[in-house]
Amino acid sequence: MTAISFYISSIKNEFIKLKRTFAFWLTIISAILFPILFFIAYFLKHETNTPEAGINPWEKFMTIQIENSIPFFIPMFIVLITSLIMQIEHKSLGLKHLFALPVPKWSIYFGKLSIVIFAIITTYVYYYLAILLSGFLLGLIHPDLAFLNFQPEHLKYINMLTISFVASLGIIGIQFWLSFRYKNFIVPLGLGMFLAIIGIIVSQAPQSIYFPYSFSVLSVSLGDKMPLILGVSSVTVFSVICFLVTSVLGYIHIKKLNIK
Amino acid sequence: MNQLIVNTNNLNFSYNKSEQDIENLELKVPKGSIYGFLGPNGSGKSTTIRLLLGLLKKTSGTVVLFGETFNNKTRLKILDQVGALIENPSLYEHLDAVDNLRIAANYRQNISFTRIHEVLEIVKLTHAKNKKIKEYSLGMKQRLGLAMSLLSNPELIILDEPTNGLDPKGIIEMRTLIKDLNETYGTTIFISSHLLSEIERTCTHVGIIRNGKMIYQDTVASLKVSKGSNIKLDIEVDLPNEALSVLKDLNMGNVALLDDFLQIEVCSKEDITKVIDVLRASKINIYQVTIKNNLEELFLSLTEN
Repeated sequence: MTAISFYISSIKNEFIKLKRTFAFWLTIISAILFPILFFIAYFLKHETNTPEAGINPWEKFMTIQIENSIPFFIPMFIVLITSLIMQIEHKSLGLKHLFALPVPKWSIYFGKLSIVIFAIITTYVYYYLAILLSGFLLGLIHPDLAFLNFQPEHLKYINMLTISFVASLGIIGIQFWLSFRYKNFIVPLGLGMFLAIIGIIVSQAPQSIYFPYSFSVLSVSLGDKMPLILGVSSVTVFSVICFLVTSVLGYIHIKKLNIK
Repeated sequence: MNQLIVNTNNLNFSYNKSEQDIENLELKVPKGSIYGFLGPNGSGKSTTIRLLLGLLKKTSGTVVLFGETFNNKTRLKILDQVGALIENPSLYEHLDAVDNLRIAANYRQNISFTRIHEVLEIVKLTHAKNKKIKEYSLGMKQRLGLAMSLLSNPELIILDEPTNGLDPKGIIEMRTLIKDLNETYGTTIFISSHLLSEIERTCTHVGIIRNGKMIYQDTVASLKVSKGSNIKLDIEVDLPNEALSVLKDLNMGNVALLDDFLQIEVCSKEDITKVIDVLRASKINIYQVTIKNNLEELFLSLTEN
């Protein structure tokens, strides 16, 4: 049996385990939450939001929505979804069974990590589709909002979301390790929420560029002021490094763990 | 029968430094045996099983399974031949039985879908295969856990307290199943239990553990012999005091009266008839004669300080 077949069967199983779980629904609920709020706001106050002639209404609609929801919401969402997905395993006392199977431990750790990342990417995709759909519906209901007369600049917004996702990788690595290690989900959840809030508070300080829980906010708020490392945003670089280091350390730690 | 499927040498383990949880354990499980691992609660049975499967890191000593030393290199190869049910079975409660087995089968690979239905049939859960595990009783969960360990037709099945939570009918079914597997496929079965009667009825070999130390290990037959050949009887009669004096005159050994039951020790089965004849000759009515379980006392004397 090759490494790849172990990995594939691990991924396959993670999908079966997600069936009918709250973690699965959370990806959808989180994705449509803000688009619904913006839909209601535009629907009720469509006169004030009607753009001047020739102005693309998507620009304001998309930018405000992404800038005001993603930076604050994504860290909380990651903390929650990571704990929930690992909780499926802990609740079923699954680790002792999995680690007694003829399956390499890395395939279990990284298979699960892949699913967490997949769930987060799915949420981004749902979110983007939900915004487009809500804008389209608003255009149908109130033609004066002009959503049907213009095309959104997809590339620009997808780029914004991608930057936000990469900036979140760092805390995915940390939160996944914590959630795997602690059966009691209060530990990763409590610590994660606490650090996410700290991350928002300290994001004004220049040193926050080294604090992974601030990266999500910084990736949007710093804009052009973002320091670069070899031409790449330093938040992106630090986030990827943090993800790689915590994933590898997390795996080495889990591998040696006594499963009680 | 000489080949050892499980063989540990000087196995030591401790959860924390102040206490030794497993001490110099020498476990010898012969091929084709049903090995009963017996000990009171908290004596280290589950810890030993976790050490065998590599879930816990031993402090020192070796674990040899199928003649190969268990280490990172041999781990997958060894575990491929083992099916284990460790304490409470690991089941995803929001899924049904088929999904749970599918997950286990996917991990092991090369297990066909028909095998899933086969093992469901073996543990008699086919009628509940599409029910969520949430709705299962403890006994059903235990049986599904066993089904999981059977999936790959392993050479060695390790069962940690498999009859926990089962009703009497379930216990009998589990016993039959274990014996069947052993006889039909030659599967070596390692069962831990704190119930002596379980082990006595099912097992060929027995190991008794106390405070992390092996205090007895041999075949069940020799355990019975080691207790000596005396048979203890409990006799219920209508006139216990008279019966007591009659039996004392026989000079057979210890006679006593306890809770209206006469207790007497005899040397052979023929003596049982003798005792009954003497009592009947004195016009004493006998309501019941029972042979007391020697092993139970032996177990208590071995495991109590």
